[in-house]
Amino acid sequence: MPQDALAADPRYGRTAPRRGLTLSWRDPTMRSIVWQIVIIGLVGFAVWWLVANTMRNLEVRKIATGFGFLSREAGLPIGESMIPYSPADTYARALLVGVLNTLRVSLIGIVLATVLGTLIGIARLSHNWLLARLAGIYVELLRDLPLLLQLLFWYALMQGLPGPRQALNPFGSVFLSNRGIKFPWLVWEEAHTAALLALAAGIAGTVLLARRFTARQMATGQRPRLWPWGLALMVGLPAAVWAAMGAPFTIDAPELRGFNFRGGGTITPEFAALLLGLVLYTAAFIAEIVRAGILAVHTGQWEAAGALGLSRGEQLRLIILPQALRVIIPPMTSQYLNITKNSSLAVAIGYQDIVSIANTTLNQTGQAIEGIAIIMAVYLTISLSISVFMNWYNARIALKER
Amino acid sequence: MPDESRLATADRPLVFAPKPSRAPPSSAIGPIAWMRANLFSSVSNALLTLLGAYIVIVVFAAIINWALVDAVWEASNRRECLDKVGRAGACWPGVIAWIPNLLYGLYPKDQVWRINAAFLMLVVWALPLWLPGVRSKLAIGLSAVLLYPFPASYFFHGGEQDLLWTALIALGLAAFAWVWLTTFSERFTGLSFGAFVARVTGDAEQPEESARLRARIGYAVLYLAALALAAQWSLSEVPTRYWGGLFLTLVISGIGITFSLPAGVMLALGRRSHMPFISLCSTAFIELFRSVPLITILFMFNTMLPLFLPVGVEVNRLVRAIVAVCLFAAAYMAEIVRGGLQAILRGQYEAAAAVGLGFWQSTALVIMPQALRIMIPTIVGNFIGLFKDTTLVSIIGLFDLLSMARAVGEDTTWLGLFLEPFFFITLIYFVFCFLMSQYSLNLERRLGAGQRR
Repeated sequence: MPQDALAADPRYGRTAPRRGLTLSWRDPTMRSIVWQIVIIGLVGFAVWWLVANTMRNLEVRKIATGFGFLSREAGLPIGESMIPYSPADTYARALLVGVLNTLRVSLIGIVLATVLGTLIGIARLSHNWLLARLAGIYVELLRDLPLLLQLLFWYALMQGLPGPRQALNPFGSVFLSNRGIKFPWLVWEEAHTAALLALAAGIAGTVLLARRFTARQMATGQRPRLWPWGLALMVGLPAAVWAAMGAPFTIDAPELRGFNFRGGGTITPEFAALLLGLVLYTAAFIAEIVRAGILAVHTGQWEAAGALGLSRGEQLRLIILPQALRVIIPPMTSQYLNITKNSSLAVAIGYQDIVSIANTTLNQTGQAIEGIAIIMAVYLTISLSISVFMNWYNARIALKER
Repeated sequence: MPDESRLATADRPLVFAPKPSRAPPSSAIGPIAWMRANLFSSVSNALLTLLGAYIVIVVFAAIINWALVDAVWEASNRRECLDKVGRAGACWPGVIAWIPNLLYGLYPKDQVWRINAAFLMLVVWALPLWLPGVRSKLAIGLSAVLLYPFPASYFFHGGEQDLLWTALIALGLAAFAWVWLTTFSERFTGLSFGAFVARVTGDAEQPEESARLRARIGYAVLYLAALALAAQWSLSEVPTRYWGGLFLTLVISGIGITFSLPAGVMLALGRRSHMPFISLCSTAFIELFRSVPLITILFMFNTMLPLFLPVGVEVNRLVRAIVAVCLFAAAYMAEIVRGGLQAILRGQYEAAAAVGLGFWQSTALVIMPQALRIMIPTIVGNFIGLFKDTTLVSIIGLFDLLSMARAVGEDTTWLGLFLEPFFFITLIYFVFCFLMSQYSLNLERRLGAGQRR
């Protein structure tokens, strides 16, 4: 029996001989150990040298260490804040305001840049020659100019607007002046919050319903109509909640009083310039990503979709984009991270994001190391969160292979 | 009557010869048909076309009117411009008066020739790379990257030389001379400079060792001549605080670009290394620098580098910015190179090992050339990004091109002049970035020739 013969063979089943470590440069393990010891030594020495120098410098310059300053009074004025803040608040709260400002501009920027970039990317592939060329010029021009240059340009444009008394008034009671964009806004009451919550519930309900309908379509081939349900859930429900709570509806329109506007909602020139610059710049990159993603889908897919009788818009929406997404998502993630990181250029135009506030903090307290550590911690957290979310989404839409 | 020529005869077999196809109908060719197919294929397309054409006309007309038609070309201050055309036209005299500052910053006017000479030297140095018939292109390229910085920095900074500094500058000068001597000797005799010297000084029958010795003597004579020249050479000192404009932008991005590629390659190799500690260190460095914005790193080096160094050591502001830009660029380059390395199939490593190449040899001769070639578009894209990112140094108070453009409006003669200098530097940035991206496309096409089927 060969099996028995194999088992009887003393060479069978033996592991490879373990070679002992030889004290020779020819032994790869030895080499690797020596190299690592050398590198550990160098890195260790460098770290020790830097830390020792820093300690001495801090001592000589009489700079305090530790995060104790966070609970001290900041005394720094902040122009716009999403939470109540006054200069009498602590540094910790000032930094929180900065983080929220960064998140606000990044999130809005991500959404707008994605929409605009996708549209431009599709336009660049359009059969309309002029539209494709215009999209191409847009991409080439905006990609090749430094973002800081663009931001300063938009900011100068915002500041070049006339003063509040001669404010531009494109329509209704929307005013454009060098104090920012003023627009009518609801007087916010509890009923509105409740209606927003109802809208969120309605969206969730519609999504669940759509899934059930798809399941039924898979089972029976019949797809019930979704849109009446969707309309009822997403419009009817919030409206009903709003009406049930008394239907409050007061518009607060901006009015010129003296030298400035009173009331209404405001978009500051800093925020507007930063958002505009970030969105227009990043949209150019996103457009290229979308275009490359669409081109990566095989032409046969277009032809097959056309053969099924789908219109070009339907081909794009139902067949091409879902497949293109797989190519698009990874580079898109890095563009989202770029928007977040680039929002730090706010410091150049006076929008108070985390970098700007932390920078002021470290200038006031002299505690540079702590200030930089806070900025790094904030960006690391944001970057990791975006990466984790996008990786989850990427895994969800990835090609399911058998 | 049948066409005689189409009938088969004994000496001419019947061959299928299709009639020439008829010309397409006039509705399918010509500009009208092209417009119908590409601009007005449907109602919505036609509307889009009209809208697009409207935008193009409005925007271009506005720009041309402002920049050319209504512009003022001669005035001695901004007030005169405003009196002539108001804000409807550009006020170019301000930009024209500031062009020297936009290009060279506050560099002393009588010393500006040094910058021009140094850039000319770089162009002349690199020229043989594009000449046919030159064989030592690798050595020429390496010498330009490694040795050009010495004479260039003396051109830019000037000042006292100590012994080591003189020796390094002389090395650069000798390399510069060698590049052109070897270019000429290779073009006309097919021999490199050393071989040419050996041939001229002795006859070919003499043993090889003596030829090598004579080549070495040739190099030594070249170096001594350069040393004599460098020792004589004396330029007045221009401290870095006077550097600015396009010159500073090019210096920072040039150093960043030349540093980032080798450093990125080392970091990428470190990250993929099997040695846990080295891989850990590289990964930590890369991820740390990639996760924070460049402006933070610039702030950090600006405020913290003095803290990190021994008490009393002052570091120049420019050096701090350059260190920050270099480390930042290296971290990004490392990830690009790693992407290229991941695309190399295992078989390449095994084949390299099978022909007996060690780690460094297989990396340098087999793996890296392939990995870098795949990543050329991304690498050049990164260079363009770095060039654009150098504008951030204006935030920490260096006078690069962007801050010089902003300074125009702070000049009392040209107070408030903003759009015109911005328009000017926009053109500069666009031309640089556009040329780089076109060159990368060209390079990709040429180097990718072997990959295409």
